[in-house]
Amino acid sequence: MVAKRSAVLLVVTYSRAARGTLRNVCRTHEESVVRRFGRVALFAETEFAAFQALRLREKHGADVQIERTRPFNEFDALDAKVREAARAYEERERPSVPYSSFAAGTDLPDPGRLRERDIPR
Amino acid sequence: MTDALTVRIGDECRTGRAVDCSGRSLDPERVVSAVRGVTADRSAPATALSVTCPDPGPVHDHVGLLTPSVTPRTRTALATAARSRGVETPVDDDLASVRAALADAEVPAAPDLERARRRLAGTESAVDECRERVATLRGRLQARREEGRDTSGLEGELAEATAALSEHETERAAAREALAMARREARASRDARERRRKLEDRLANLERTARDHLVAAVRDRYAAAVAAAPGDSRASGDGSLADADPFAADDVTAALAVARVADLRAPVVLACDRFADPADAAAWLDAPVIRVPCPA
Repeated sequence: MVAKRSAVLLVVTYSRAARGTLRNVCRTHEESVVRRFGRVALFAETEFAAFQALRLREKHGADVQIERTRPFNEFDALDAKVREAARAYEERERPSVPYSSFAAGTDLPDPGRLRERDIPR
Repeated sequence: MTDALTVRIGDECRTGRAVDCSGRSLDPERVVSAVRGVTADRSAPATALSVTCPDPGPVHDHVGLLTPSVTPRTRTALATAARSRGVETPVDDDLASVRAALADAEVPAAPDLERARRRLAGTESAVDECRERVATLRGRLQARREEGRDTSGLEGELAEATAALSEHETERAAAREALAMARREARASRDARERRRKLEDRLANLERTARDHLVAAVRDRYAAAVAAAPGDSRASGDGSLADADPFAADDVTAALAVARVADLRAPVVLACDRFADPADAAAWLDAPVIRVPCPA
């Protein structure tokens, strides 16, 4: 069950009224809410949480956005090079060096290539 | 005195700064509507009601009707009363510019994401079904061939199923593209909604600041009005009104006090019995008054 519930619904509100309703839903149904950040919340991936999210959208229409997110596992989703690049760059000695210069002339992936490549589904 | 008012009920006409209609059976709400000119009176000519008076300002919405069951939002009403007296605040310029920005804020219409999602959801399952059907037919065809049986009928079925699969795959591709496009449009709409929401937040903050300032500006005047208000039903039972919080006064007293602080041009519809007569009320409130019977 843990694995089944590891994905979450992302609920974003775009008006004061929708934000207020989101706050109330989060207060009333704590068990359905993984976390709330102001006008944004992560709902558990249960049908009840989805029902609450849909209710919000019924009430506030386009002022409510619902997305489904999945857990991020960098060991599944990415080439080792990307992980190594992040570590190496954060350990750099000169903080002012931008990544593009840092990667130039090394084995590290260049930022242009990183931008072009999507994380596989 | 330019704020005399005229009340006509049927062919009866009463004029003055304090008009006494307490002998008439009149719904206070109906009188207030007539003062505000919001609804045309559709009653029979004999009881048709009209009030001729200066246009009510925003504060009239708060204290234009005083009944025994008023529930004023005292601070908001008092801030509006302060405005009626011309009190200004340091955030007025910001308020005006944020209101103007909000009035100009345009939010592009949200695309029909639901339709795009529904269309895609249908195609996903159709492709899956077709793919399964094609695989099943292939398996059966293979088996028949191995058994050396006639396959022409099955070949026809497979060709149909393959064509259907291809059709559904095309539709799915189109549905995906349509959803992607709708999502791009939605982003623009959400960006605009987000900007509007930020402006609304800013407006709410400024309004709070302005209200605090306005309330502070007339607080003493309001406290004095509460202390001087007629009637004996007050929040503090011990009578030490000087020390009492004027914002803890009972609702009727609070509403009367706000009305006394306000500069009211349009008549107050008075449906509570705190005053001996309408003229007393008009004098105390420093406002024109229409006295109507207390609601039952």
